[in-house]
Amino acid sequence: MSADPVHSNPKSSNPINRRPYVQPQPSNWWLKNRAYRFYMLREATSVPIFAYALVLIWGLFRLSQGQAAFTDWLALMASPVMMLLHLLVVAAALLHAYTWFDLTPKILVLRFGDFRVPDLWVKLAHYGGFVLTSGALICLAYVFLPGV
Amino acid sequence: MNQAKPLMMTIVVSRYRPEQDAQPWDQSFEVPYSYDTSVLEALQYIKDHLDPSLSFRWSCRMAICGSCGFMVAGVPKLGCKTFLRDYSQAGSIRISALDNFPVERDLVSDIRDFVDKLETIKPYIIREQEQPVEEGEYLQTPAQLDKYKQFSQCINCGLCYAACPQFGRNPEFLGPAALALAFRYNQDSRDQGSAKRMEFLNAEQGVWSCTFVGYCSEVCPKHVDPAAAINQGKLASNIDYGLNLVGLAQQPGKVGEKS
Repeated sequence: MSADPVHSNPKSSNPINRRPYVQPQPSNWWLKNRAYRFYMLREATSVPIFAYALVLIWGLFRLSQGQAAFTDWLALMASPVMMLLHLLVVAAALLHAYTWFDLTPKILVLRFGDFRVPDLWVKLAHYGGFVLTSGALICLAYVFLPGV
Repeated sequence: MNQAKPLMMTIVVSRYRPEQDAQPWDQSFEVPYSYDTSVLEALQYIKDHLDPSLSFRWSCRMAICGSCGFMVAGVPKLGCKTFLRDYSQAGSIRISALDNFPVERDLVSDIRDFVDKLETIKPYIIREQEQPVEEGEYLQTPAQLDKYKQFSQCINCGLCYAACPQFGRNPEFLGPAALALAFRYNQDSRDQGSAKRMEFLNAEQGVWSCTFVGYCSEVCPKHVDPAAAINQGKLASNIDYGLNLVGLAQQPGKVGEKS
């Protein structure tokens, strides 16, 4: 950083007696306003989704141990606690998707000549893709997993 | 309107006098106000009538100089563009120096580091070969102008730095305004120096220190949307990384020298 001609006195090691107060950032800075709290909630959605990934890996592990172990695991998944976890995970994933779709138009800037695709179109395209893929998955489940 | 007693509001001002104070402290003032009294005018009233020792920066009074950024009731705002009438319900407001910057005195922030960061990213048009003046201007179409115009509206008020928790925890982060400015020049069709700026954008303290909190864009008084610029910069940084892997990225040393 170059010498500051305004604030530093070349003849003094203490430039014009400045003593700026450095403001500390408190650890609870994120409680300060709505925008920060929502940001932290958005980031926190990764925790239930991580937990769900562990549950899936656990299921895969049980599958490797044979049919009986896997059936046990499936039965456990139907327990109220696991149902609650799944609901929480779905809520977290939906909230995360909502925030993601909300921010995408800021990054995905599409131009065709003089025409810039409006933010709303980008957002709607994402929601459309979301509905289509979810619908396709549900259809596939119906076809291949009758009775589920 | 009526000539009766003017409306009064309690203005709590965070004071810091480096000669005698170890840390900032609050001082209250009773200030008369009307429908069109701005926070800046309230501070000027305090300085003129109540305490001449109060220090704060201001210049244009019309939201273009970017000098009068303060925390108003905890939110980074321009003093000239914020009105006491909007706080009449609360009956009082607290005004302090912008968050995340060192406090020089009272409401005056030390923005030296911020100005250095703006200079770091080479905020000027860099050409491989400067065109002689006789050959005229570098021309640009409205569509080319549109690509960066929004990001060129920054008035360097620093509100986005006060809003950025990442800058708050890591003062080395280049921050919203500097990164938006770098992106603005990289998007300019007349500029050929983006390779020189990518060095700073790609760095740990560049775009990748941003976690898209997005509050910078919310508080920006000129609707620059620095969060959009930074996160489009991440895309540019990824492309640059990919091109570099296969040896296709432009090398910074080869672009027209100015520094």
